[in-house]
Amino acid sequence: MFFRIMDKDRLPDLVAGLSKGFEVIGPVAKGERFVFERIETPEMLRLDYDTTLLPPKKLFFPPEEQMMRFRVADNEVVDDEVYAAPRVIFGLHPCDINALMLMDNVFLGEYEDPYYRARRESTMLIGVSCKPTDECFCNAWGTDEVHWGFDVFLTDLGDRYFISVRSVKGAELLDEFVATRDADESDTAAFQQHTRNFKNSFTDDLDTSQLPLLLDAKFDDPLWDRLGERCLSCGACSMVCPTCYCFDVTDRLEADGKTGTRVRTWDSCQFTQFAEVAHGQNFRESRASRVKYRYYHKQWGYLSKFERVLCVGCGRCARACLAGISPREVVTALEMGGAS
Amino acid sequence: MPPRVVVVGLASDFGCQVQMTNIEDQLLDVLGRIELSYWQLASSGHMPEEYDVAIVEGAVTTGEHVALLERIRATASAVIAIGACAVTGGIPALATSGSLDDHYACVYGEGDVEVACGRIAPMPITSVIDVEYRVPGCPIDMDEFTQVLSRALQGLSDCIPREPMCAICKTLENICFYERGEVCLGLITRTGCNARCITLGRPCTGCRGLAEDANLESAILLLAERGVSREDLMTRARLYNTLEEAFTR
Repeated sequence: MFFRIMDKDRLPDLVAGLSKGFEVIGPVAKGERFVFERIETPEMLRLDYDTTLLPPKKLFFPPEEQMMRFRVADNEVVDDEVYAAPRVIFGLHPCDINALMLMDNVFLGEYEDPYYRARRESTMLIGVSCKPTDECFCNAWGTDEVHWGFDVFLTDLGDRYFISVRSVKGAELLDEFVATRDADESDTAAFQQHTRNFKNSFTDDLDTSQLPLLLDAKFDDPLWDRLGERCLSCGACSMVCPTCYCFDVTDRLEADGKTGTRVRTWDSCQFTQFAEVAHGQNFRESRASRVKYRYYHKQWGYLSKFERVLCVGCGRCARACLAGISPREVVTALEMGGAS
Repeated sequence: MPPRVVVVGLASDFGCQVQMTNIEDQLLDVLGRIELSYWQLASSGHMPEEYDVAIVEGAVTTGEHVALLERIRATASAVIAIGACAVTGGIPALATSGSLDDHYACVYGEGDVEVACGRIAPMPITSVIDVEYRVPGCPIDMDEFTQVLSRALQGLSDCIPREPMCAICKTLENICFYERGEVCLGLITRTGCNARCITLGRPCTGCRGLAEDANLESAILLLAERGVSREDLMTRARLYNTLEEAFTR
């Protein structure tokens, strides 16, 4: 990794330059909130955003995607191409970059997903520094920092960006499209100060050190029943989660009954249908068990396999849950001795 | 021989049958797979004695409706209930809130009314006969209808969704009405319409019925915290649903 400095007023040059060769996607305003969308003009890009409604996972693993088309008559696959244009996602926060790396473990690991891979490989990532919101708890998992998993990362130093360049492609993009200079000692000092200030700006310090142990110990805690009583089983938490990767696959026939499409859609472990199997058996029938296993999967199961929890503390689920269930509340309740 | 299909309307505004005429893009494809024997809205003939699939719109409001439904059930190998009236009672079932006699007197005056043909308390057709397939909503979503019809023609089971609307609404990146202090019934209403109203800027009014997965008790509590009483929520939900039982259990 090496470091460059870009004056802030050069930002439009970079965005406009990238737009010549790539589809540029970044945070844009939608009412009071923000969404990742195609950037048509540099002014659309809102690097001052707090968080987005959906995380960038939608750009690699869309909420609904056609996996293939098929003919009914001879059962042949007609089209299973993945279209992935070269693109740049501009303005990811550290939590969302960390989340993509957690998704990579799943989609690019033992069972590789060609749809995800095609989109991932055609996409460059430009990160940007952020400020914690009331819902953020990335500091609890260490996902407030990101050291790899991006091509370029911009840290906002007021009048200029301190640029961490992680990949050769990232360096080439900067050289091609924008004027930068080497970082000097005062830039590096300002960057260090910024990092210290950022770390200190988190008011809440969630203690997650004993979490796996606590989860083992509190499997039958009444906490899970209390949460089950409140949970709406609406699945909003899974949809807005940058690391929830479960999906459903359905075949849909077209109106003429001659051709069909196989479609993959986001699923949620909070739905009764999720764990229902043949003969109507359901091994997650109660709401309490469904809420519980969401936490056991994220904070225990994934951890035991990949040595990371499947949560980056982005706070989207806490904001989306009308019943007010948040990982911060759950972890705190476990630390404080559960519901008992 | 392609399956013989009839389309029948009970108490409703026939809006779902009108909606069926709006699938120009797919109508010929669908018609190519069936023999449309009777379509109450669009044909002038009489309902045949024999058919394979019956598509029924509307709520049950008279004894004649009950007799017709029983005949349909005895004849058809598959019945598809379409629209809020047929699936959840819809607007006609609003008459079951308060005194039914008073409501009738308000419209028809006192005494027995001949046009009402043995009136009974309005109810969804699913309260009278078992149906194989349901397409809820006011009006029905035509993509969903063609999918369900397709399943019926193939003999596949019904796959009516059980989850509330919030998940699909999130994937569409709509800003939640509750963030703006407005009430939306999506949190208890059956999904499957792509959160169409919400995406167009209107809160969900519950036309697809109460979702089986919905946690009504929790929804009542969290709405109460936001100043919406149980009664108010029930009044809102009653527009398309006979829900007294669900709300008072």
